[in-house]
Amino acid sequence: MPEALIKLENVWKVYKLGEIDLSVLKGINLEIMPESFVTIMGPSGSGKSTLMYLLGLLDTPSKGKIYLQGKDTSNFSEDRLAEVRGKKIGFIFQQFNLLQNLTALENVMLPMIFQGIPEEKRKQKAKQLLESVNLAQRINHKPSEMSGGEQQRIAIARSLVNDPEILIADEPTGNLDSTTGKTVMEILKKLHEEQKKTIVVVTHDPTIAHYSHNIIHIQDGQIRANHFEDEKVLWEQENNIKNV
Amino acid sequence: MFDINIKNLKEYFKIAFKTITTRRVRSWLTTIGIIIGVFLIVSLLSLSQGLKSGVMNELNRMGKDLITIMPGDITNITSMISGLKLTNDDLSIIKKTEGVKTLVAMDYTTVVVRYNNQKKTTMVYGADWRADLDIFKSDMGWSLAEGRWPNPGKAEAVVGSIIAKDIFPGIKAGNEITIKGRKFIVTGILNSVGTKDDDSMVGIDLNLFKSVTGERTGAKMALAKIKPNYSPEFVAEKLKSNLNENRKRQIGQKENESSYTVLTSATMANIVGNIMGLIQAVIIGFASIAIVVGGIGIMNTMYTSVRERTKEIGIMKAIGAKNGTIVTIFLIESGIFGMLGGIGGTLLGLIFAKAIEMYFQIHPLFYLKADVGPGLILFSITFSFAVGCISGYFPARAASKLKPVDALRYE
Repeated sequence: MPEALIKLENVWKVYKLGEIDLSVLKGINLEIMPESFVTIMGPSGSGKSTLMYLLGLLDTPSKGKIYLQGKDTSNFSEDRLAEVRGKKIGFIFQQFNLLQNLTALENVMLPMIFQGIPEEKRKQKAKQLLESVNLAQRINHKPSEMSGGEQQRIAIARSLVNDPEILIADEPTGNLDSTTGKTVMEILKKLHEEQKKTIVVVTHDPTIAHYSHNIIHIQDGQIRANHFEDEKVLWEQENNIKNV
Repeated sequence: MFDINIKNLKEYFKIAFKTITTRRVRSWLTTIGIIIGVFLIVSLLSLSQGLKSGVMNELNRMGKDLITIMPGDITNITSMISGLKLTNDDLSIIKKTEGVKTLVAMDYTTVVVRYNNQKKTTMVYGADWRADLDIFKSDMGWSLAEGRWPNPGKAEAVVGSIIAKDIFPGIKAGNEITIKGRKFIVTGILNSVGTKDDDSMVGIDLNLFKSVTGERTGAKMALAKIKPNYSPEFVAEKLKSNLNENRKRQIGQKENESSYTVLTSATMANIVGNIMGLIQAVIIGFASIAIVVGGIGIMNTMYTSVRERTKEIGIMKAIGAKNGTIVTIFLIESGIFGMLGGIGGTLLGLIFAKAIEMYFQIHPLFYLKADVGPGLILFSITFSFAVGCISGYFPARAASKLKPVDALRYE
């Protein structure tokens, strides 16, 4: 069996709210395998966003360990974590999270600047990626001049520039209408199928889940179910969807 | 701590610049804080430096072998303003002192001078044209703009450049002026020697001066030209002790008290240099406070900026920005504020100083030139840039210390 890309071992996240300790995650054990397409589902307040931040190394657990390709990330310095995020992880957010002052092209080039990639190469790569998400005509526009779907496609292009091992998407269609949302999901699906990218999508929308091969259902900070595609019956029950 | 990859710096500059230009009004207000401080430093320092070098030039034109003797002690103001004069006795002591080659007794007074029915009060000066003309020319920088020097003993006069320009406009060599009822022919007009006092004087023969004004004895001050091979300091000491000895014999002046001020051109230059240095130190002090206040303005803006851009910082961290990168971007931004303030302030300061200089060229109260060296410009811009960076440091560090998750969740 290959080594897990990201492995969570008895991960707890506890927030101190005054006198009360609020446990958002309670002992999560989870493995994200290379080349998998995983959906993390759960109602709001279930802790799925917190889990997403931990998987993306944007946050540190209160207890437990997170391994990235077998390495214990709790020893990583802040700079090392930043470097890992820059090189190995691509993020796609519900709010798109583009820098409003920068054009589409500049937004996509930004992660490469942080990695010290020369300008020529940056431009070439960013343009190529923007073309691949059908935004070749819009590269010099700012996010505020673009629709939600276009902004999310910029964000996808940005997440891919440093050839990450894993894409983590937090409600990527949450701010989009269903048609645009579908386009975005098709892009992710294609990335997974053609480029063998590992993809983790966090959502509460069951229609999104059918793109993935593995659904992790989380509730009250614990994993309630971890279903794989071949468990056909459970799969359909879980998603409440008919064969699409 | 910092991300100082040169290639990246260029990009961070672009990012910082974009932020600054998006928040235009605030950026301007922030920069103005620095501009005012730098403006003060550049304009006031260049003018005071100009004033200093003007006065120094004046002093340097006065020969190194000249010693000025004035009645009264320069360190005791009351003795200076009481209108004391050097007596004939004093003058002969000066003449006899070891090392003194020639003595120029300078006497002047304010009288009403008439020209073409215009009456103006001006300074009239008595000169021994025969004995002292050479010293005027070589040591005091007198030269003729037109005409010739007066003949000794004749009712002839030279007038300063301001007289010809402002006091009696149009006066020429050959015109007639009246001093206390006595007619004098203007034989020459002097070139400016650079000070308002000197340039608005009328010079006449010493003996005629005495009879016309009634100032018959003594002199307001005296210049002693020393013999070659004597040091000015030595002769100055001699003069001082000789004059005080005599005064003691006459009126029983106490030991250690001095009724005379004896200055070599070097000590005069020192005194002026010290006074101007003090003035400049005060200017730098106050203007620096203004710049520091400007720096606090930058700090305030940067803290606000960090708050507003918390989410942006989170995004940058999520896509691979290290803490040092964040610090660098924010420092560049505050550095730009400082730098722009420095450049703006320097430009405004230069314009203002040059305007003042032009004003004084048109209205020559005294000689004033704005003296702006590259050193001053470099200093102001570097200093304001440094203030910008220092003020930006704490906000920048605060920004870099944000946890990515908290920054991303910040609304």
